[in-house]
Amino acid sequence: MAERLLELRNLSVRTHKRILVEGVDVDVNAGEVTALVGPSGAGKSLTARCAMGLVNVNPGLYGGSLRFPGTGDSKDWYAPHIDGGASAMRKLLRETATLRGSYFTYSPQVASSALNPGRTIGRQMQLAMARRATPPTDMGAEIVDLLDEVGLAPRTAGSLPGELSGGQCQRAALAIAVAPLPRVVVADEPETGLDPVLRRGIIELLVSVCQNHGCGLLLISHHEDTVERLADTIVRLTPYQEQVA
Amino acid sequence: MQRQVAILFTILSLGTLLVLAFHSPEKWTVMAEAESFASPFELPPFGADAKGRPLTDYAMQGAHIVALPAVVAGLLVTFLGIVGGLIRCMGSARVESIVAGLREVVGALPRMVVILVVAILMPLEWHSLMALAIVWALLAAPGAMDEAASVAGRLGGARFVEALRAHGFSKVRIYLYHVVALNLRPVVVRQGAETLMQVVFLEVALSFLALAAGEPSFTHNEATTKSWADLLYQGYQSIAMDVPSGHALALGLLLVAVTAVAAVSISSAARAR
Repeated sequence: MAERLLELRNLSVRTHKRILVEGVDVDVNAGEVTALVGPSGAGKSLTARCAMGLVNVNPGLYGGSLRFPGTGDSKDWYAPHIDGGASAMRKLLRETATLRGSYFTYSPQVASSALNPGRTIGRQMQLAMARRATPPTDMGAEIVDLLDEVGLAPRTAGSLPGELSGGQCQRAALAIAVAPLPRVVVADEPETGLDPVLRRGIIELLVSVCQNHGCGLLLISHHEDTVERLADTIVRLTPYQEQVA
Repeated sequence: MQRQVAILFTILSLGTLLVLAFHSPEKWTVMAEAESFASPFELPPFGADAKGRPLTDYAMQGAHIVALPAVVAGLLVTFLGIVGGLIRCMGSARVESIVAGLREVVGALPRMVVILVVAILMPLEWHSLMALAIVWALLAAPGAMDEAASVAGRLGGARFVEALRAHGFSKVRIYLYHVVALNLRPVVVRQGAETLMQVVFLEVALSFLALAAGEPSFTHNEATTKSWADLLYQGYQSIAMDVPSGHALALGLLLVAVTAVAAVSISSAARAR
């Protein structure tokens, strides 16, 4: 059985007015794909953010547990912060900061807006690689290898995000996401803004790169057909309508 | 323009203006009447005025009047531009709409009219360029805030910050380094440099207006202190009344050009890769 890397149980989040998600369970295993699917407003991105300790909702968590067994620690990261309000959510954010960018990384919804337009792709990859437990001695060669793996030419390292197309940006974001050699990659609708052919290619690339690196992939998507073909586990979310009493 | 070239031009142009400002004489250099309208060849480097006083004194005193207020106004606009960009990144719709409302109201005011009203209403003993420069900066700030906010919006605003947080960067690093230093810098520095230049031109315009109307200056309250407008006014006399003071016009225009070069090169240095 594959190694369990992320274990989110009974996730329950609310604002002052309504419940956003309740009782959601998500597991991510090494080398496997876990997909979060559902219509807009179902809480897919929120669930993914909560899995990274980024709960930017007030008062936020009112139930659930989050464990990262891959770290060798069975600690429940949510336990001290349940029902703690905004300050507890900020504390959770600080506590999980060391894991973000190293144990798990994030491939955002719109890559062109999440890549830093003021920095070359190569420099952003360097920064990501510096977060490895043992950064590589020859970063240049490693960058070229990674770019090649995601189907980008070596000269892309010297380009700014604004000089790349949408598909190239998404590939670059993927290269940056796997550069720190994370255990889990969280990909938030990586197909957004791409045409259907490119969309399928990007998701397949994402899955194959993660499997090559032995990472678990938490994939958020609208496209059930693609997800059903590629995912090992599918978590279906539906919009939660209940108001807070 | 390459970064090194832009930085070199910045140092040369801004350095020239600051050196002039810091070496400004408190008292006029006493010259003989015989030196009246001495040309740059007779009295290097720039000749003398009708009373035989060196034109370099005008240049230095004028630089002294504008230096500090122009820099303060430039920094204020830069700061407010950064605030505008960061507010967009905070993702708070309420704060953003309040600030947008203020920006629209202040941005709709006609700047020059407001400055003239403030200058006229200011008591004589309060006359100083600093107050006018700050008012000018506050009127220029909405434009800078708008532009910085649109740059932050193109980045993705709060989404960009959130994505970087998911990559493990701290809030301080994201705001100060990724947002301000890497992305807002070209915009806010350009806005600041433009304001710096505008304040210098504002001083020249207001002083020229006061000279033409025979009124005390709006930008300084010591009659013995001369502005760059005095140089241009002497130049104007050479054109309109055939007074032999054309070299004063050349020096006045040279100083205005150096100011423009300083502003352009500061912006280019901030923008260059």
